Formats: sequence, structure tokens, C-alpha cells
Amino acid sequence: MNGYLGFALRRLVQAVVVVLAAYVFTFVVVSVLPGDPVTNVLRNPENGFSEDEITRIVAYYGLDQPVHIQLWRSLSNFLTGDLGVSLRSNRPVADMIGEVLASTLVLAAAGLAVAIVLALAIAYGTRVLPARWGQGVLRSLPSLFLSVPNFVIGLVLIHVFAFQVGLFRVIDPESVWATLFAAIALGIPVSAQIAEVLITNLDHESRQEFAAVARSRGLSRARLFAAHLLKPSSLPVVTVLALTVGELLGGSLITETVFGRTGVGSLVQRSVTTQDLPVLQAVVSLAAAVFVVVNLLADLVYPLLDPRVRAVTGSTRRRRAVDDGSLGAGAAA
Amino acid sequence: MSVAGLTTAEARESALDRIRSLRVPPGVALSFAVIAVVIAWSLAPGLFTGQDPVNGVPADKFLPPSAAHWFGTDQLGRDLFSRVVHGTASSVSSALIAVVIGVIVGGSIGLLAGFLGGWVDTVLARLVDVLLAIPSFLLAVIVVSSLGFDTTNAAIATGVSAVAVFARVMRAEVIKTRRAVFVEASFLQGGSHLHILARHVLPNASRSLLALAVLQFGLSILVIAGLAFLGYGDPPPASDWGLLISTGKDYLKWPWLVYAPALVTIATVLSVNRISRWLRKTD
Repeated sequence: MNGYLGFALRRLVQAVVVVLAAYVFTFVVVSVLPGDPVTNVLRNPENGFSEDEITRIVAYYGLDQPVHIQLWRSLSNFLTGDLGVSLRSNRPVADMIGEVLASTLVLAAAGLAVAIVLALAIAYGTRVLPARWGQGVLRSLPSLFLSVPNFVIGLVLIHVFAFQVGLFRVIDPESVWATLFAAIALGIPVSAQIAEVLITNLDHESRQEFAAVARSRGLSRARLFAAHLLKPSSLPVVTVLALTVGELLGGSLITETVFGRTGVGSLVQRSVTTQDLPVLQAVVSLAAAVFVVVNLLADLVYPLLDPRVRAVTGSTRRRRAVDDGSLGAGAAA
Repeated sequence: MSVAGLTTAEARESALDRIRSLRVPPGVALSFAVIAVVIAWSLAPGLFTGQDPVNGVPADKFLPPSAAHWFGTDQLGRDLFSRVVHGTASSVSSALIAVVIGVIVGGSIGLLAGFLGGWVDTVLARLVDVLLAIPSFLLAVIVVSSLGFDTTNAAIATGVSAVAVFARVMRAEVIKTRRAVFVEASFLQGGSHLHILARHVLPNASRSLLALAVLQFGLSILVIAGLAFLGYGDPPPASDWGLLISTGKDYLKWPWLVYAPALVTIATVLSVNRISRWLRKTD
């Protein structure tokens, strides 16, 4: 267990470094741009900052100081949990994110649920459908899903279910139906990645001897799938699920726009057009933190779930699962 | 390896044989055909449509698809097919820019990390970890917002968001090849690092890199369309596919304004993905 503990500690340190680096990275990317966005925003009469407020904000961020001191100041604030103050609304960034976080988390969680259910259904179909062409259609679904822009899925759903069927109203984006369809739009591309890995693993497991033995005992395809193939095939999916977190967070940016929801995505959009650096920095490092923590958990839990890899660390098997699954899954994440 | 002894006819025949020996499945052949059409659209849009993509006939607005207007007309009475065809060059070339940036920057990072190893590898690997941890679409949005909103910058941003993936694959390939016996042999025969890199490592890595580049090309079309959809690309009257779909979303009562450009986008990306899959399988 000593090896495992060392592995866990090493990964934890890496995770913290990655989150801090993401914060610095956003700062560098946004400050590298030509022009001085901060002054542009502050001096913009539209934003209506008084001279006093400007002096206060400039002093708070040390905007009159050289860039590396600005970075050091905001980074040390970040380390103490202070996400800073929005340049646009002059409100604490933590409050602004806190207001919209729940809506995005609900959407992302629902999207993930849709993705898992859909991927399982597709994978089950490829094993159980009797007709060869039916299996072929199901096998090509993931690559179709990966070829459709996710805002198109959303628009089609709105066109069909809001305009034609009248199941929900576009002006009421937080209703249950609207949320469900937003989750479907978000989940479909993600389900493709899960399904691809799942199908590859199922193919691999069904060629193993235990599957042949089970088949020779006269097990039905459905029973073989449920009792023997699913568990070994879905364990590597744990790590793929963790990798899709980024996809869910990035995708919610567009899905929220399509469905007119307020959330982190719409906050990012507003902050991008107003160059609200503190908000962008906070959202990016938060997204990186979520990604890193989820992947860390997946890596740490994996050896505990799968007895075959308990002896070593999870990293080798994780890589195998992802690479085997296809370039697509890895690349799209 | 000389072909000097062959007549032209023989050479042509052997070239045909080589194509035939690749045994291209029908789906892949169809995909190549779709891509050929898309390339033709982007090179010479005027050959495929005589209608003006920018100035419409206001009286003809919101006409459904017909023989005269294959994709119908938009809110200003412009022929949608013409707009899609004329928007192809921008949509395709920006995806190309993104892939080139990804291959060159990501490839170099992966090459350096894998070939030099040691602390260079450690530092670059951490950098790639950071890039991977930021959701790639969010990364593209941040970068384009800092560069300024136009289609070229959206392409650059998309390329930046793909750097990490290329770096990771390149590094893995380089490390795999570097450990091979023939590389050791070449090294023992006095081959320099540069010689080994150019003669052994790069050719061996090129196949998986090519498949990834083709896949990323399709993905880049989607990401750039997404950025255009959010309004981070060129403004109208440009007619990038993502922008057309974005404009169409305000007129869902005339759904072809969304469906036509969307179908073109999907057909293109699907074909690109099919080709990438085939390139990987025929390894």
C-alpha cells in the first residue's frame, strides 16, 4: 500500500501545480494581447466607473505595477481563496460564479447521465441485435455523433420539440423539459466517446475464453452482456468518463447559449466580450481544477476497482483503455 | 528504386495498381468524393453557383428549397446554396490553419520531449498537462478573445487548443521509435541525432500523426463553427458555415436556414472522420 500512497501523493502535487499553472496561463494569454484591456474596460464610459472606483481597482490589482508584480499579486490572492473582483460589475468574482454554478452543474450532470445511458444503449445494441446491418448502424452512430456540431443538435431539438411538438417553450429555459433537451444536446457528443471505448472493450472481452465458455453453456446474448461482458468492459470507461468532464464544461458554453440558459457558459461569454480578466481567470482555473480533481479521483479509485491492476499504479491501464478506445476519444477530450 | 526503365504507360499502370491495392472501401471512396467537392467549392465557388452570395433579392426572401434555389433563400433574399459554397473557402482554410498550428507547435513539443527526455520532457509534459486540463473549447474561446474576433484568430485559437493532443501523440510515437532496435543499430553505426530524427523517428511517427491531423481537421471545423456560432468569427456578410447556422437560429420558422449549412458541415466532418479512421486501420 506504500506504493499506492506514494502514487497518490505524487498525483496530488501534480494536480495542484496544474491548477495554479492554468491560472497563470490564462493571465499570460489575456495580458499578452495588444492594447490594454483593463484600461479599456475601466475607462469605457459605458461601464460608468467613477474616478474613485478606478483608482481603487487599479490599486487593488496593482495595475500601475509591472506585469509580473500584477501576476504575483493576483496569484497570491488566488492562493488564499480570493478570486478577485469583476472589472465589469465591480462585484466579487466568487459571488458571480456562485450564482450561476448550480445551473451549469445541473446541466452537466444531466448531460453526463444522458451520455452514459445512450452509450450503454448503443453498446448493448451492438451485442444483442440479431441483424448484422442493425449492428452496423449502431456502430456508426458514435462517429456520426462526433461529426455534428453540438449547437446543431440543440437547434434541431428546439425546432422539433419546441416549435413543432410544443413540448417546451424557448422563453422558459429552466423548465424541466428545456433542461432535459439541453442535456440531450450536451450529452450526445459525449456519449459517442464513451460508446466507442465501450464497444472496443466489449469486442475485446467477447473474444476471451470465458465468453466462449459462457456462450457454449447456452447463455443468451443479453445474459452474456449483462453477466459477463459489461463489468470488465466498463471499468476502463471510468477513466474515459473522467476525461469527458472537460467536454461537458466546454460544451455547456454553447449549449447554454443555444437554449438561452444562464450559467457559467453565459458568464464566460459576457466576460469574454468585456475582457473581464478576473472572471475568465477564475472560470478557467475552476474548470481545470474540476478536470484535474475528477481525473485524480478516477486514477486513485481505478486500482481499487480493478483487481487486475491493483498491484501496479493505474496509469498504464488507463493509457491502454484510452488509446485502444480510439484516437477519437482521446483527441476529442 | 529507379523507375527510369519503365515506360510512361507502365508507370501509370503501376500507379493505378497501387491505388487498387489499397482496397478503398466504398464508404471511404464516397468520403474522398465529398472532400473533393468541398475542396472544389473552396477553390472556385463561382463555378458551382452563378448567384450572388452577398446581395439578395428582397422580394425573394425565405423561399423554401427549390430547383432555382437548392438550399432556399435567407432573410435578405440571398441564395443560401451560394452562401454556403462561398463560405466554404473560409471554413476549410481556417480548419487547415488550426491543424497546421497544432501539428507544428504540438509536434515540436512532443518531439523535443520524447527525443531529449530528462528535465525537458518533465517541463513540457507539465505544460501539456495544463493545456489538457483546460476544456479545449474554453481554451479556444479565451485565446480568440485575447487575439480579437475574426475567423483567422478563431483558427489560431483552435490550433492552440489542439496543441496538447498533438504533443502527446508525437511524444508517445518518438519514445516508441527511439527504443526500437533499428534505431539503436543506426546510432551504433555512427548516425547523428539529427540523422536518426529525420531518417527514422519522423517517418515512423508520420502515420499516426497524419491520422490524427485528419481527425483534428474535422474537429477543427466543428470548433471554428462553434466559435463563429458564438459570434467570435468574421461578422456577416461573411458566410462561414457556423455563422450561417447561427444566423439561421433566429429564423427557425424557416428551418432550412439551419438544416442546409448544418448538413454540409456534418457531411464534411463525417467524411473527414471516416478517412482518418481508414488511415489508422490500414496501418
